[in-house]
Amino acid sequence: MKTRQRESLIFDRSIPGKVGLDLPKLDVPAPKDTRPAHLKRSDFEALPSVSEVDVIRHFTRLSKWNYGVDDGLYPLGSCTMKHNPRLNEKTAALPGFTLSHPMADAAHVQGNLAVMYTLQEWLKEITGLDAMTLMPSAGAAGELTGVMLIRAYHVSKGAQRRVILIPDSGHGTNPATAAMAGYDVVELPSQPDGTISFEDVTDPSTGKVRKGLNTLIAELGTEIAGAMITNPNTLGVFEYRFKEVADALHAIDALVYMDGANMNALVGVARPGDFGVDVMHLNLHKTFSTPHGGGGPGSGPVGCVAKLEPFLPRPVVVRKEAKLGEGEVPHFTYELDWNRPQSIGKVHTFFGNFAMLVRALTYCLSHGGDGLKAATLRAIVNANYLRSELLGTYNLPIKSPTLHEVIFNDADLATHDIHTLDVAKGLIDRGFHPPTIYFPIIVSGALMIEPTESESKEELDAFVEAMKDIAQEAAENPDALHQAPVLASLRRLDETTAARKPVLRWTKAQ
Amino acid sequence: MRYLPSAPAEDRALLDAIGVQKAEDLLTGIPESLRLGRELDLPGQASELEVLRALEAMAAANTAFRSRFLGAGAYEHFVPTAIDMMVGRQEWFTAYTPYQPEISQGTLQHIFEYQTVMCDLAGLEVSNASLYDGGTACVEAALMAVRLAKKKNTILISQGLHPHYQEVLCTNITPHEGLKLVQVALKDGVTDLEDLKAKLNGDVACFLVGYPNFLGCVEDLTAIAELTKPAGALLVSVTQEAMALGWIEAPGKAGADMACGEAMSFGNVPNFGGPFLGFLAVKDAHKREIPGRVVGQTKDLEGRTGYVLTLTAREQHIRRDKATSNICSNQGLVALRANIFLQLAGPEGLKGLAEQNAAKAQYLRERLLALPAFSAVNDQPFFNEFALRYSGDVKALQAACAQAGILAGLDLTPYSDSLKGCILWCATEMNTREQIEHLVEVLAKLVA
Repeated sequence: MKTRQRESLIFDRSIPGKVGLDLPKLDVPAPKDTRPAHLKRSDFEALPSVSEVDVIRHFTRLSKWNYGVDDGLYPLGSCTMKHNPRLNEKTAALPGFTLSHPMADAAHVQGNLAVMYTLQEWLKEITGLDAMTLMPSAGAAGELTGVMLIRAYHVSKGAQRRVILIPDSGHGTNPATAAMAGYDVVELPSQPDGTISFEDVTDPSTGKVRKGLNTLIAELGTEIAGAMITNPNTLGVFEYRFKEVADALHAIDALVYMDGANMNALVGVARPGDFGVDVMHLNLHKTFSTPHGGGGPGSGPVGCVAKLEPFLPRPVVVRKEAKLGEGEVPHFTYELDWNRPQSIGKVHTFFGNFAMLVRALTYCLSHGGDGLKAATLRAIVNANYLRSELLGTYNLPIKSPTLHEVIFNDADLATHDIHTLDVAKGLIDRGFHPPTIYFPIIVSGALMIEPTESESKEELDAFVEAMKDIAQEAAENPDALHQAPVLASLRRLDETTAARKPVLRWTKAQ
Repeated sequence: MRYLPSAPAEDRALLDAIGVQKAEDLLTGIPESLRLGRELDLPGQASELEVLRALEAMAAANTAFRSRFLGAGAYEHFVPTAIDMMVGRQEWFTAYTPYQPEISQGTLQHIFEYQTVMCDLAGLEVSNASLYDGGTACVEAALMAVRLAKKKNTILISQGLHPHYQEVLCTNITPHEGLKLVQVALKDGVTDLEDLKAKLNGDVACFLVGYPNFLGCVEDLTAIAELTKPAGALLVSVTQEAMALGWIEAPGKAGADMACGEAMSFGNVPNFGGPFLGFLAVKDAHKREIPGRVVGQTKDLEGRTGYVLTLTAREQHIRRDKATSNICSNQGLVALRANIFLQLAGPEGLKGLAEQNAAKAQYLRERLLALPAFSAVNDQPFFNEFALRYSGDVKALQAACAQAGILAGLDLTPYSDSLKGCILWCATEMNTREQIEHLVEVLAKLVA
């Protein structure tokens, strides 16, 4: 079926008098107008007058220009675009949950608190950490919560430390978070395989020496509050000296934060709490299958070791054994503990993105401990299959063993003047969403591919075929690839003009 | 495991192609000593039916109230059927952030339209693609105001700001050692202008005020702006009930420099407090300091109109520690629900709904005040929420209501000494006259 090439803005279709929502008959007297004259709502300038049919067709047509996980492989590295089970949507939509009010007394929301407590317990076992909060709304919010825990820990010991160490391979949110928590960021250089360097590193092109972990610890000492480390790192490589890094930091009472964006490589296989992590976040919208929603809502629970537990955001969900009567079945009640004198305070207006927690618990219960581990292993197998199948066609800059994702780059295509962006756009024409591109920044022209456990061999093979086809076109007809995409709803877009002369909303004059 | 495309023959083929015996052989990058040397101590996998039953049992453990009169930052409004049907399309809910514009025009155009309707509601020129919730929107707005104000170090907040927003602000401002958070008192339910005047010194970057405030009162933004403007402080309106913006003047038109708050009321449900929808709208002159994602209009190679993420030089993936915020994932799908809702409602629907809210709340207040146990706390204009003093035991009132299947208003006792024994009531278009009469009947019996 042919879809329309363009769908205009809804505002251009507004015709006064049309309505998309009928009001119920008012069963009480009309309101008295108590507003001061200057605070009466003036006319709207943009809200459209359209029918329900207009709106349904508008959003249906627009949706067809999106690519979703159900369209096929979505290999965005470090984003973990796995299948979103429909059962999760069903459980999250149960009216018992959706109608429950965050200001209601705990006695009326025992089911919600049971969901939260149960999920916390699962996540504690999965991470090997002692305590968990589910309040942060996304990964970055989890990072901020975690770094604030680190800060509260040092403040409680009477020490104000000013530096957070972050590897140069880290996600941009890490330094942005450290800055939001009032810290100075000092960069840790990578070794050629992307893992943290203990020794100083000399840049071969500039001759500039970058201080390694040993030098930074020797020079900055107790100025260092902690380090934020992604593991496996953004190259998909496990920081094999993680324990040594943690020990070196712990020796100066600095704490280790782990960015859990890549936890899909570790669930059931290795636990951060066992290899030296003090505090970390999980992305429920990555590892635990809650939908990405075109940019959210996410959820970023934070786990920590016992010594950081007193500082957790309030309230904390706790379980109490109910008093048992004669012959009564043992049961528990759940409470919200607000009396947390050392807490950093609230990090969310209420209790985080609760409906995402319902989805994540549904995912956990469906998989069970054995299924979670099986998913991890399959994700690693899938990434390594792509690695072995594409080796020889694309340049593999890092040869170390990789887990759930693999990084290629455009080094072998440069002779044809074909770059990573062209490969990405070529994939669009071949029916795939491109991988993460130009990240991590320590690899030139990176193509960061994470297939996840959801992909069958058939899907993986189709992707391999598309990638090989692009490499062949790069050699034979590079100009055609420069034109890609030609089959999407639009060609390449002018992002420079968009930023220089921003048009950020529709206006009548337009 | 139904979500894994696993079968012995397929697994074998994959492993053979890689050249390993078993999946565990691919873990060589993880030192043995750092691996979990056992299986996870968790229950085993379960069928769809079993998991559904377990979650249904949990949902059923919540009290199912037949009528609800509680707001306080989380409001129940009608959700048109079209919203769930639309958002259930996988193209919307399974997609990632629109980094590849050629195959994300749906999401990008939606965000552009969302920015447009939010600007219209706020009476301002630039909106971002959403923030987490009302509380964190206050944080982002305050930090943005501090950046704009350069060397000023004081954030003034009205005592009438939602207490949870105040606490979230405090949590996030504490690490910034140079910054001070100072509260301005309430008088008769609204900001005390004399106290505000006294505290507006040269160090004040901004003033955050609820509009309407936590007690439901409509603050006079225009009168407040007359004080903040000459003092050189930015006025930030904080709307915890966005439906009110169909009743009271757009904050930007009433004098606010920035408008932020909570927009869950548009097409979303209480959901125990999340996911909600933080919003932030600002003046055009301030756009390069706005946090979060922003979509702009542009052209493609053939001159066709399209949309892209823009002004990215503000963001964490480019600026790292110099970014305007660390936010990346925001509330995409929640914003989509709000956008669909606002398009369905249109100007007439939104004003009409808002009017019904005002009508229901006024009627409820009148009926409650007719009972001798209730008295007014203030006589300020309000939208769909108001506080009343109760001469009896608030906890007993809430329990009696719960017994009758009614979720009563919020006990304000813990929030301030002067509000001891007061209750914050809310009524929306969801509350029928019959529900209100039933509530009054239950309360009348209790009082007697």
